[in-house]
Amino acid sequence: MTLDPHFAGVADDFSALLRRKGLLATAALAPTPVVPTPQQKLWQPTEATTILAFKFSGGVLVAGDRRATAGNTVVYDRADKVLEIDRHSIMAIAGVPATAWEMARVLEHSFQYFRRTQLQEMSVDGKVRALSKLLRDNFGFVMQGVGVVVPIFATYDGNSKPEARLYFYDAMGAQFEATDYAATGSGSPAVRGILYYENNWGAKPLQKTSEDEATSIALRALDTAAESDTSTGGVDRSGKIYPLIKIVSREGIRTLPESKIAAVFKETVA
Amino acid sequence: MIEEPYRWVEAIANRREYIETQLASGSPIVALGYRDGILFLTLGQTRQKIFEIYNRIAMGAIGHPGDIERLRMAAIELASTEGFTRSAADVSLRRLVHYSLSPVMKGAFEQVYGAPYLARMLFAEVGDWPQEDLFLRVDYDGEIASNGATFAQARRDFAVLSGIRQSSELMESFLKVEHSSEAAFEAALKSALDAWSIGHMTLQTSDTKELPERAAITKYRQEQLAKTGIEAGILERNDSQAIRYRVLLDKELRALIHE
Repeated sequence: MTLDPHFAGVADDFSALLRRKGLLATAALAPTPVVPTPQQKLWQPTEATTILAFKFSGGVLVAGDRRATAGNTVVYDRADKVLEIDRHSIMAIAGVPATAWEMARVLEHSFQYFRRTQLQEMSVDGKVRALSKLLRDNFGFVMQGVGVVVPIFATYDGNSKPEARLYFYDAMGAQFEATDYAATGSGSPAVRGILYYENNWGAKPLQKTSEDEATSIALRALDTAAESDTSTGGVDRSGKIYPLIKIVSREGIRTLPESKIAAVFKETVA
Repeated sequence: MIEEPYRWVEAIANRREYIETQLASGSPIVALGYRDGILFLTLGQTRQKIFEIYNRIAMGAIGHPGDIERLRMAAIELASTEGFTRSAADVSLRRLVHYSLSPVMKGAFEQVYGAPYLARMLFAEVGDWPQEDLFLRVDYDGEIASNGATFAQARRDFAVLSGIRQSSELMESFLKVEHSSEAAFEAALKSALDAWSIGHMTLQTSDTKELPERAAITKYRQEQLAKTGIEAGILERNDSQAIRYRVLLDKELRALIHE
């Protein structure tokens, strides 16, 4: 830790600070797509898949399966794709975990750095925009075929109008606010179908469901996604590996204990 | 001037005198390690004096707001980049103060053609146990005082900051008797308010060498509390959250003050 004696005392944004100190990798400005020759097998980055989030009566439920793959190889069956960024924000990731975890780290520090230097909490819009900017900065890597990340961001806005807020992004950084639900990753078409169906013709709209009902819907959706998408882990019945489920509410973030998920699974899914 | 050592020494002495005069009116800040964390407290509503630096580190400062701001930003920047590149567990107050802040403050103080930092700061880092709490006071000349045991004194579970030496010494001698690291929050809050009152009384009558009567302390504390607000924050010992700092509001504290 060395201090620059000519330190100007100007607080810039945390990723700008990292760049100034040479601590943040920036993508090549002119991306060159990697085209393999017939003899060369295309290098496959590790990828994480299928995350979903929807609003229910107790806030926002965010769930992700646990599988990480590289091409058709399963790399890891206990990957954590639902990441806590601060006391009220969750970023869930589909895409390359190497990039996504780094983004989550930058984001986590950005929010804290802002609060500490500016002596106020960053607004929800500011947080949403910060993630958008990280995705935009990463687009060079996406074009090179390494490092695509498609996240979901869920948070609780305690300031202006207290309510849970849910956003999903594309790989370039466009943010879309979801009114009811969002899903990204390779298994997401099936999940979106289920959530759309549940919301319109299910027993009740998603926003009215209880925590147990919501958990059950999330588990069924991920299990359905895993049925047709090899990259999605779903629920590993023999290995007893369950999706990771977190809940964002006014009180903060809660991770559902595995025993609770297992119980709901046993009762309503298996 | 460098060729004439005497003039350099004289210039430094003048500068010290000037800075001491500037800092003399600084209202005291008390930091107490108690059972569940570290409490930072001061009274006054002119500007914020207690700040969060990193997950386990907080700071209180008196001096010129511009200089405090520069040093505060530098400390946050260093801690944040360290925490980002390595891990939050690698951010240490001891290193931050000894290797980063102190040398820069000493350098600025001794370069008589440049401006010194007009600031006196008190840092604290909460440990898993009260015995691991670290308090470091850094002065405008880079001098560091810690709460660790020396040949002359036992380890302390508190630290104070004030505009003049007499004021901080009286606060310390009060806390040495009154405060214990086993104290619960309400007891720590009371000791902190009393210590602040002693420190602030001494600023007005700087020739006092004795602690004021207990009744006088209570009276003074009540008068001040009626006039102004409490600024306070805690670093919680509870390890269920990574971020330990929390601002305490005047309103929630007043409910806990009885006499």
